[in-house]
Amino acid sequence: MEAENMEKIEETSPQPETPRGMAEKDINKTARAQLVGKIFVQIGLYLFLTVMAVIVLFPFYWMLISSVKSVAEYNALNPTLWPKQFVWSNYADVFSAEATGIDLGRMFLNTVIVGVVSTILSLIVTVLSAFALARLEFRGKNIVFGAMLATMMIPGELFTVTNYITVVNWLDWGNTFAALIVPFLVSVFYIYLLRQNFLQIPNELYLAAKVDGTSDLKYLWKVMIPLSAPTLISITILKMMGAWNSYIWPKLVVGDSHQLITVGLRELASMFSVGNNPNFPVQMAAVVLVTVPLLIVFICFRKYIMRGVSRSGTKG
Amino acid sequence: MKRLGALLMAGLLAGTMCGSLALAGCGSRKKADFVMPEGGFDTSKQVTIRFYHQMGGQLQNILAEYITAFEKRYPNIHVEHRSQGDWNGVRKQITTEIQGGNQPNIAYCYADHVALYNRSGAVQAIDDFLPGGAFDDVTVPTVLTDSFGTYVDAEGNTVTEPVTADLPLNLTEDEAAKYNKTYYDEGSMYGDGKMYTLPWIKSTEMMFYNADFFNQHSDRISVPKTWDEMEETCAEILEICEEENIEGVVPLGYDSEENLFISQCAQLDSPYTSETGTKFLFDNDTNKQFVNKFIEWKEKGYFTTAALASSDYTSTLFTEGSIIMSIGSTGGATYNVDASGSVEQFEVGIAPVPQYDVNNTKLISQGPSVCIFKSNDPQEVLASWLFVKFFTTNPYYQTEVAQNNGYMPVLKREFMETIPAYVDFIAEAEDKDIRAMAVREGMLNQDNYFVSPAFYGSSVAREQVGLLMQAALSGDKTVDKAFSDALTTCTKRYGK
Amino acid sequence: MMEKTKQPKVPLTKAEKKIRAKAIFNRWKAWLYLLPALAILGLFTVWPIINTLRIAFSNGYQGMLEVNGETFTFGIENFKTAIEVSGFGNALGNTMLLTVITVPVSTMLALLIAVALNSIKPLRRLLQTIFFLPYVTNGIAIGMVFMAMFNMIAIGGKAQSLGIINGIITAFGGSPIDWVGPNSSKVANMAVLILYIVWNALPFKILVLLGGLQGVNKQYYDAARVDGASRWRIFWRITVPMLSPMIAYVVITGFIGGFKEYTSIVGIFGEEMGPYMHAHRLDTMVGLIYDSLNGNFEGEAAAASLILFLIIFAVTMINLYVSKKKVHY
Repeated sequence: MEAENMEKIEETSPQPETPRGMAEKDINKTARAQLVGKIFVQIGLYLFLTVMAVIVLFPFYWMLISSVKSVAEYNALNPTLWPKQFVWSNYADVFSAEATGIDLGRMFLNTVIVGVVSTILSLIVTVLSAFALARLEFRGKNIVFGAMLATMMIPGELFTVTNYITVVNWLDWGNTFAALIVPFLVSVFYIYLLRQNFLQIPNELYLAAKVDGTSDLKYLWKVMIPLSAPTLISITILKMMGAWNSYIWPKLVVGDSHQLITVGLRELASMFSVGNNPNFPVQMAAVVLVTVPLLIVFICFRKYIMRGVSRSGTKG
Repeated sequence: MKRLGALLMAGLLAGTMCGSLALAGCGSRKKADFVMPEGGFDTSKQVTIRFYHQMGGQLQNILAEYITAFEKRYPNIHVEHRSQGDWNGVRKQITTEIQGGNQPNIAYCYADHVALYNRSGAVQAIDDFLPGGAFDDVTVPTVLTDSFGTYVDAEGNTVTEPVTADLPLNLTEDEAAKYNKTYYDEGSMYGDGKMYTLPWIKSTEMMFYNADFFNQHSDRISVPKTWDEMEETCAEILEICEEENIEGVVPLGYDSEENLFISQCAQLDSPYTSETGTKFLFDNDTNKQFVNKFIEWKEKGYFTTAALASSDYTSTLFTEGSIIMSIGSTGGATYNVDASGSVEQFEVGIAPVPQYDVNNTKLISQGPSVCIFKSNDPQEVLASWLFVKFFTTNPYYQTEVAQNNGYMPVLKREFMETIPAYVDFIAEAEDKDIRAMAVREGMLNQDNYFVSPAFYGSSVAREQVGLLMQAALSGDKTVDKAFSDALTTCTKRYGK
Repeated sequence: MMEKTKQPKVPLTKAEKKIRAKAIFNRWKAWLYLLPALAILGLFTVWPIINTLRIAFSNGYQGMLEVNGETFTFGIENFKTAIEVSGFGNALGNTMLLTVITVPVSTMLALLIAVALNSIKPLRRLLQTIFFLPYVTNGIAIGMVFMAMFNMIAIGGKAQSLGIINGIITAFGGSPIDWVGPNSSKVANMAVLILYIVWNALPFKILVLLGGLQGVNKQYYDAARVDGASRWRIFWRITVPMLSPMIAYVVITGFIGGFKEYTSIVGIFGEEMGPYMHAHRLDTMVGLIYDSLNGNFEGEAAAASLILFLIIFAVTMINLYVSKKKVHY
């Protein structure tokens, strides 16, 4: 089926015919017109991207400035675009609350452990499943894939109580890392995403590898994984962020010794409220503190994204 | 393929069966009712109890400090406390944990939460621990300490070496008599005659007013005590503003439509809800009348609510001078004073919420109580009881919390006034400390509080009357429609 | 069958055994690869779904009551209550409307941005990073920001605060609009909500589409360019078909996510699911489910989610049918 579709595309993009027999003059003229057009298009593109980038960046900017505003300025009826005065103590406040027994360092370590382990395991599971669904022919494939898609359609919040009972009552995993890692190892979203990516890789490569006697796993490792590097890295980022941002489940199943960072930071932030009125600037400072490590990881990974991209460009 | 399909089906079926059986067989998730163990409280065994609450900031620090004192008094008890962020967080965490058979020992609760938890039979009735209860002659070996955990001897003198004595497990008559009666009785208003909660800390609604404004125009207006006076005052304030060219002023702001509705019912002695018989009684003509009155006030520009002003609280508008009188919780008292200095600060006064009958003042009582959950380990229940007793009868803890945010002690004013720390704190009201002012006013009104009946579904009644006021005030619905919709929503899920 | 077993057995050679073993392995290897995923899905997804089914068809089910040892009769009472509860029609309508608008809009925008990013050289890295940044911002923060941007506070006939957006509108001579406040119209609320949802959906879609774009064989473009095809033609005849698996992915998952829309509304309007004074105006299907869960009516929540599942299932089937016809692999 995939092979057929590949052929279709070959049909839609006919072999180029080189323009022979054109007068030199004409070529110069069209070239100049093309150049002007190209510049206009480029200006348009940059304009479009810049506007979109500003829109996209604005909330991010807002988060940062809110974290250094005073409570009064934050609550003021007319919000200010630039803080009148920078209240850096909001950040100090987040950490000063540590004296109350919330061990941020430990929670950071817990989060790294959970993030790394679950990302690695999840990648293995996802790659294997996506490979089976994209490349192997077997009975019931469509049913399995369809059923997997169907599981995405029920709001997952409904599973919380059942899973809580499974993890705490049946598996006796209360207050363990397993309770934080295992239930979320499989994401149908990622399997589906990777399958779509694998499908783009021409099947001929696989068949050729089979003829050469290359094993599936070797082929997967040597060909498919490098070619899907951008997607795999995206999944890695998303998965790490999942561990980093998860809040409801860890709060439910583990105690302080295994707690993750977002729960801790939110607890810290909630220390700065009077009655039911939260101190948003300190909360924002906590949010920024959660975000910055992610940002660093993300920017580091960007190099790999580019590398993965260029590789797929040259090899494809 | 067929065989595989059959196998899958069989597996699914078996899974469902097993699952249903397993769940049905999870009778173990239900905890046993408390039975006094042989030998009573065992001080030789370590026992850990868990306490869930929604305290923020400084309150947690105060709590931790007194937990240390408590653990000194009962050295084998260890208390783990955890804030669940907000009230919904507490309730959600606990209902999930109950379903996993893993609930905490003690929780901050509102009355309707207790009614909900009790659908699973998880809450421990505490009648046996009250004066005259079944355990009245049981004693517990206790390290003698004062309220702060300092070691004392039997005469109350400070000592360095711990002295142990057998003290009564139950509340004594004397201790029970110190609670504010309304708060104490709230624990047994669940319709089954049993007592489930003790009050932890309480708040009420008060009217915060712009004292400078009233002083400047004392020839024309005074702080209203009744709703009739309120109507006149509002009209006069608008006139003053027009004369002085002050734009954008609404005389009265009310934080919560829910509290407004429920307080009006109480003041007018008009039915709202009942824990026995027909539960939802709020759809009646008296109530429609006052709703209509507030719609009229809103249209005349006398009155706004926090939601009408696009906010959670009216305090911001109050500090900016746009609202002259703001009715809100004493728990948020500090927000009626602007600490940033960004606006011109005026003097703030506090008065009770206006009434229909000043000789029969009715003020809403709010704020957390605590309940104890059943546990298969009776030692945990005993430890939890000791914890609850220690905190709710400790005037020093109560004072520190009041000092922190304007909440009110649950013990009687007459008793609190024998506590130097409390007297010192209340004295600060003279220096216009807003918290001290709120607590002083609240404690002066200690006999005027009312509570609404608690039953499974009472929180929905509360939510619905708030929504109906909003719908009527905003003109989304006619008054009649708003009432009938609210009633339908209540009865559809909770029956009549 | 008997006959078969009675046939004389010829001992297999080692090579034959190996081949046979390999054949068996090949037949089952797909399942072997899928095993870890299926096992975990079975325990943590399929089992909860089965449990949801059980709960949905248990009349008047409540987890609290079950703990107390109560049993429930089999029936469809929960479905009836779920539909009869006021606001079902409103929630369904809102959900449909939001999905139908936001999915195409965000997909088109993401596609345009991805293609634009792919066809520039300078600043590309920087812009790429910027477009991925929202992914690492926190949902709470973003909701607050949108609220602050659009919020207008007005009492006593005087606007106390306009919000940035209204500030811009008045600067250009327009009159301020109450976008998210107590006097706002539903249309204004929806406009803000759609903007927010699209904003939220962009980074992931750009990420996926750009990943796909960079997998496209450059030779096709070179060929087309030499061919003198216009940009527009290249976009529709090469880019879109080559990207079609990824587009199908974002559209299908977009629809599924769209029908499950909830957090974005909470982000801006809070758990009341509407502006001040108009609670539940912007309720969605998942909002209803949450409401039931919040009231600890698990039976009703399960029933409502099965109804939602059926709707999403039907829409996804249509999507898959269409994409099968249009997607090129």
